[in-house]
Order: sequence, then structure tokens, then C-alpha cells
Amino acid sequence: MTATVYDFQPVAAQTLVEEVVARSGQPLTACYQCRRCAAGCPVGEETGYVTPDRLIRMIALGDRDQALNNALVWQCVSCFTCGTRCPNDIQTARITETLKKMAKEKHLEPLKPKVANFHDAFVKSGLRWGRVNEMEFMGFYELKNFLKDLKAGNFKAVYDEMMTQAKLGLDMFKHKRLHFGFLSAKGRGEIKRLFKKYKARKAA
Amino acid sequence: MDIAYYPGCSLKQTSGIYDQQSVKVFKALGINLKEIDDWNCCGATSAGKYDDFLAIAMPARNIGIAENEGFDEIIIPCSACYSRTLVAQARINDDAVLKDEINADIEKKIDGSLKVSSILEVFLPLVESGELKKKATRKLKQLKPVCYYGCMLTRFSYNVAVPDNVENPQGMEKVLKALGIKAIDWNCKTDCCGASAAVNDSDTSLNLMARIMNDALARGANCMVTTCPMCQLNMDAYQEAYCEKHGISERLPVYFITEIVGMALGMGADELLIDTHITPSTELIEASDKELEKV
Repeated sequence: MTATVYDFQPVAAQTLVEEVVARSGQPLTACYQCRRCAAGCPVGEETGYVTPDRLIRMIALGDRDQALNNALVWQCVSCFTCGTRCPNDIQTARITETLKKMAKEKHLEPLKPKVANFHDAFVKSGLRWGRVNEMEFMGFYELKNFLKDLKAGNFKAVYDEMMTQAKLGLDMFKHKRLHFGFLSAKGRGEIKRLFKKYKARKAA
Repeated sequence: MDIAYYPGCSLKQTSGIYDQQSVKVFKALGINLKEIDDWNCCGATSAGKYDDFLAIAMPARNIGIAENEGFDEIIIPCSACYSRTLVAQARINDDAVLKDEINADIEKKIDGSLKVSSILEVFLPLVESGELKKKATRKLKQLKPVCYYGCMLTRFSYNVAVPDNVENPQGMEKVLKALGIKAIDWNCKTDCCGASAAVNDSDTSLNLMARIMNDALARGANCMVTTCPMCQLNMDAYQEAYCEKHGISERLPVYFITEIVGMALGMGADELLIDTHITPSTELIEASDKELEKV
């Protein structure tokens, strides 16, 4: 893999920086590229040239396309090591979270669709019942993955995923670790109402 | 002493043993965990990737419930739930508008004075008072553990007061020391296991887990101890997978801190449900008991 040259767009840079700073709450213009974040990033070996410092650089240069869809945005494990060590208190894991949401709003196809599907299914299950039901949410998550793979004719991916999950499920079942009860919170309507009001205000 | 208790979804499902152990172990130490009424999911690490407002509102409601039940401290054994709740409280206390906005729609209003404690923060006063040492009757001679903290006990998405050393936490070591167990120093105590990546990006996650396992083995550990249900589940249930992928022949039990404390207090491996681990984990305990019989 070779490093990519980022595309500097002065006008786009300003709006992109402003948007990411406002939404993530991270002072990314304070970055002076010391790369302490890159040294500690546990997924650095998986994401090629995209380390937290590089991601900040993409944003600062206004390269929106690359910033919204790169390996780090989708493979960041939110361990918060980069931000904890940053001398300028920039929590890049909050930036990757922000970029995920921005990519979704723009209906961009995620580099790792399974990651997007997972977090989506998790929060929706938590909202729906007030508590996350692991079986239900995993069901929705896998269904989304399968539909996507089937549409693409990728039958091997479906088979592999089924086998992996079946093996884990069987292990957990044998050790009495699976829970077949159903969890819910009566007050879930409060959260739903709050979220609805918040979305309406944001849209206005 | 009564303390508010937030188990969270994981402790009511796949990590149900951690819930049962926590209640049992603290009861033996004179602390009653009172599960708060009608709690909801904290949103875990997913909510921040879905919507920033929800990531605060979900755990915030639980703070209001605990405060209205008259508690001034809540124990949250799950690291993700602990982290999310601690951050939500700090955010609310720093932002009066956000606090009013959330309080407007929930029945149990949030005051923001609740002390949000990890499981270690509840164990440590018992270490300092000598209470834990006094009650620990069983010696676990064979254990050579490494303490695995993971990410969420010391690193947060927002500026909160961290109760332990960020790069080299010592809370778990102190608890083990009070039980007469010397933990082994190692490199990976705050490394990430990948968390949900074990499901949605397994290649990345298996590599991270193998790195942690390799360091534990290189230091001569014969088990790991953790406080996080996600770390425990990943390091235990995926052990065959990551060891196979990286050519590791050894296997290690991954214990919850409550299992070690419970056994030291004289509880049996069956009583603590340690036989429900995916990787065989009871042999080491039996070996400890045999060693003691010999003496």
C-alpha cells in the first residue's frame, strides 16, 4: 500500500473543519502532527497509512471524500488511546464517531458495512425495548448483513458468517451462557420522546 | 450498607454470571447491591456512533432513577456502562441547557450529584480498611494472574476525573494483594480487545486479542483477571479462534475479579458458576486447593 496525496481545497477545508469541530467537540486545529496518537493506535497495523494524525490532516486540508470513508473511520475500535495521549487533548475517537455519522447522513456506502449495521442494530434494539436483547439485535444485524451479501451474490460470505456465529452460539449454549428471557424497560417511552423532540428541533 | 446497582443488559444476559457473582460477593462483604428500578440500556459504545444526544440521554435517565431512590452512590460493574454513565453525568453537569432539556421529559429528574463507581472503587475502601484481608480465608496459591483493565476504566470520551493511573492502573493489583495474590506486571493491561469488532470486524479483533494473550504468556501468567464483561467474553469465548489464527498453543482462564474475590472468601467454583466459562477455568482452582491440602 502506498500513501495517498491529499487533495487541498481551501474553501472546502474551512467548512469541513468547522463542521467536524462543532459536532465532535474536538479542537483538531491544535494538532501539530507529533504522531503520538499514531504510535499508540492499536489498529494502526490494520488501517494502512490512515492513522489519527493523518485523519486530522485530511480534514484540515478539506479532503471530504477521503475523510468520510477511510479504513480508520470504520476500523477505529474507540479505545480512546490516541486522545488520552494527545498533548493537545484531541480525542480522535470522537472524530471517527462523528465522521461515521456524517457519512451516514450523506448516504455513503460504508467501507465496512458490518460495522455500520452493528451499531445501528444495537442502538435500535436499545431504543425499541429500553434494554438491548442480544439475540434480537444479533438477529437484525445478521439479517442486514445477509441481505446485502445475497444481493451482491456473495454466498460464501453468508455461509462463513453463519458458520462462525453458529459455532460461537453453540459454545455459549453448551456453557449455559445464552439467555432466552426477554428484557425491557417500562420507561423506554421517555427516551423515545426525548429523542423525537431533539430530532424535531435539529431539523427546524 | 446499601448501594445503588446498575447491572446493564450484558449482566442480565451472556454475562449473567458476573451479575450473580457481584451480588453474592458484596453481600458477603456487608454491601447490599440494590438494583435500581426500570433502568434502561446505557447505549454502550454504539450510541456515540449513532447519535450524540442519545449517547447522553440514555445513561442520564438511569442517574435520575438512582438519585430519586435516595442513593448517593451507584456501582456499575460493566466497564462500558460505567464509562457511558460517568461521561453522561459530567456532560450534564457542564451543560445546564442539556440538563434542563433532558429533565423536561423524564419523570425522575437528574440532580447530578450521584457518585458513579466502578466495581474497583467499591472494592478499594474494603482493601484500605483491612476488611477484605480479614475475610479472605482461602489461599489461592497457584494463581499467577495478569490484571486486564481494557479501555473503558481509564480512558474516556470526555474529560472526567479518572480514579486510577491512566497508563498503569493499580486498582485490581491492590485487591489481589489484599487476598495474598501477587499479580504479574505486563504491557497490555490497558490494551483493547476489539470489543464489538469481535463480531463486526473479526480479523482486526483477533489480532488485538492475540497480542494481549502473547504478552500474558511471555510474562509467565497462568490466568487473566478482568472487571469488564466485554473483555472477559472476548478473551474467553474467542480464545480458540485467536490462538489458532496466531499459532498459540497455550490456553488461559479469564476470570472476573468477583470470581477471584469470591473464591478467596471461601465460595466454591460451582457456586460462582465458573464452570460456565468457555475455556476450562476450574482446574487452576482445584490445583490451588490440592496444593493447600499437601501443606
